[in-house]
Amino acid sequence: MRLVGLNNVSKHYPKLLHSGDRLRALYSVFYTKSKGPHFQVLQDINLEVHQGESLGLVGVNGAGKSTLLKIIAGVIKPNSGSVHVNGRISAMLELGAGFHPEYTGRENIRLALSLAGLSGGEVTQRLPEIIEFADIGGYIEEPIKHYSSGMVVRLGFAVMTAVQPDILITDEVLAVGDESFQKKCISWIESYLSGGGTLLLCSHSMFHIQKLCRKACWIHEGRMRAYGDAFDVTRDYLAYHEQKSMSDPKLVSSASDYRVTELSLHSVGKSDGSQIEMGADLLIAGRLHSPDGRPPTVAIGLLRADGTPIYGVNSDIDGFIPKQAGAQVYEFNLRLFALPLLPGKYTLRAHAMDPEGLRLFDTMEQGFEIYGRTRELGVCRLAHSWEST
Amino acid sequence: MRGLWKHRWLLREFLGREIKNRYLGSVSGILWVLFQPLAQLAVYAFIFTLIFKVRFPELEGHGYIAFVAVALWPWLAFQEGVQRATVSVQNNAALIKKVAFPNELLVYASVAATYIIHAVGLLLVLLVLKLAGVAIHLSALPGFALLWLVMMAGTLGVGLICAAFQVFLRDLEQILAPLFMLWFYASPILYPASLVPPAFRVIIETNPISYFIGQARSLLLYGDWTLGAMDGVAVLGAMVLFWVGLRIFRRCATRFEDFL
Repeated sequence: MRLVGLNNVSKHYPKLLHSGDRLRALYSVFYTKSKGPHFQVLQDINLEVHQGESLGLVGVNGAGKSTLLKIIAGVIKPNSGSVHVNGRISAMLELGAGFHPEYTGRENIRLALSLAGLSGGEVTQRLPEIIEFADIGGYIEEPIKHYSSGMVVRLGFAVMTAVQPDILITDEVLAVGDESFQKKCISWIESYLSGGGTLLLCSHSMFHIQKLCRKACWIHEGRMRAYGDAFDVTRDYLAYHEQKSMSDPKLVSSASDYRVTELSLHSVGKSDGSQIEMGADLLIAGRLHSPDGRPPTVAIGLLRADGTPIYGVNSDIDGFIPKQAGAQVYEFNLRLFALPLLPGKYTLRAHAMDPEGLRLFDTMEQGFEIYGRTRELGVCRLAHSWEST
Repeated sequence: MRGLWKHRWLLREFLGREIKNRYLGSVSGILWVLFQPLAQLAVYAFIFTLIFKVRFPELEGHGYIAFVAVALWPWLAFQEGVQRATVSVQNNAALIKKVAFPNELLVYASVAATYIIHAVGLLLVLLVLKLAGVAIHLSALPGFALLWLVMMAGTLGVGLICAAFQVFLRDLEQILAPLFMLWFYASPILYPASLVPPAFRVIIETNPISYFIGQARSLLLYGDWTLGAMDGVAVLGAMVLFWVGLRIFRRCATRFEDFL
């Protein structure tokens, strides 16, 4: 079932430079033909979200992601195009939006639930469960202005969980709260999704997008630049960022920049390093650029394709110093013995750090695949044997 | 109307907040909102009965205080209702920018809260006057309640328009204050319409507030229930004003977010 349908949606904001612009803007509300000075935020967006789908929105700051979410949430109307929404939307454009600092946590929950369309009886019924989820103790009877920002967020998220929406819209709300609360939020969203919920998530964390969303949409300068599988879109988006920082001369020629210039994978008897047999030795070779001629520290990390880290080590920990191969060039070779990773897609990351191993300067990534025949589950094989005592 | 029923719980929340807001943080609590009009009434009573020693036939049997009181509270409800409505959208910018809900509920809540508070104030004053022996027709209260509702509908209409325009033109709030002062003196609150010279009669006659004040007086001071054509015009006028106000407000509401 289609829950959200956007058809050629465009949105522009008026430019308010002179005092007369406000008057003209008011005029244009009634006579839509006159437009006046404006800047375009969204242009011809077509988007469909079906039940049970999870869609991530990515894009640089100011690309129009938040405006798009606001349009879907019904907070703003587009200037042209149509928006169709079926079902109860719970939009958390900002956790704790609409909370009033003078009122207590309990009173604010009441209003937030009423705003979500719950009746007085339902509000009273859900209150205890929300207060329990928020887990802020006696503060619930205190005015919000005495809360820490983390507590406000807890309360906001707790309200969201109680509304049981058909569509959940969140705008970068997972980046707040302490570690344990973040985990609580993520696991709640995961159970919401597995229960058939629909999610629209806007985030700068590709990890969250990849973890929670099947599909992703890349908004660039108010237009949709890419739409599709979350992994593909986030990969393209990250590639765009890498390219952008490469073409930025300031970043490249920066004197204090340690960089990874080459990275390659080999396994025994194979030249193509992207296909590696399970249990074979993996050889990682690379070159580093050192602007001041001192040997940089190199850090190597292995990740699962969804971004879960598996193992990371750096040359500083092991006391290894990369070998000099030129005035500003250093080389390193790393061997991973009998790689126990189970078949699947993985990513190798190499980071260039300063000689002290404190600051991280550059990252190079390479994907690879482990092949093999096994029915074991998980990420890697642990040495084991079955014993009959 | 159906939309209003659907959102009744939200409206109730907003209304509760509005009323609570008026005395939240003040030591004297809810009494403060009653004290202010009482002080105003005391000042008028002092100036006009002790200094000017006004006398006119309408005072027969009630005295100046009762004469002004039954007109002052409706006026205050109207004036304060419009003024609070005007800033209601702007003051809730944070909410409007983040949450989707029918924005007109904010206007309803601020106007309704004002009307509720002033109804309580007026009732208390009427009781005190009655106990003091002034001829007040409490039996006419149901009629007065209807009048109060009609006036509230009209106030909502004006309030909706002002609230919507305030978002675009921030000076509206400042313009309203002197405008209401002029309007107050152009309405027969402190004086009876009969004392106004014929040349200025038209101001009184075209002023819709005059109708409400006149009806409030004939109901509460004389117990006069007779309905006329003007009552029909008033009900119709208030409904039309409300409807027009709501249309304008909803039209503007689509662009609120751009300007808040």
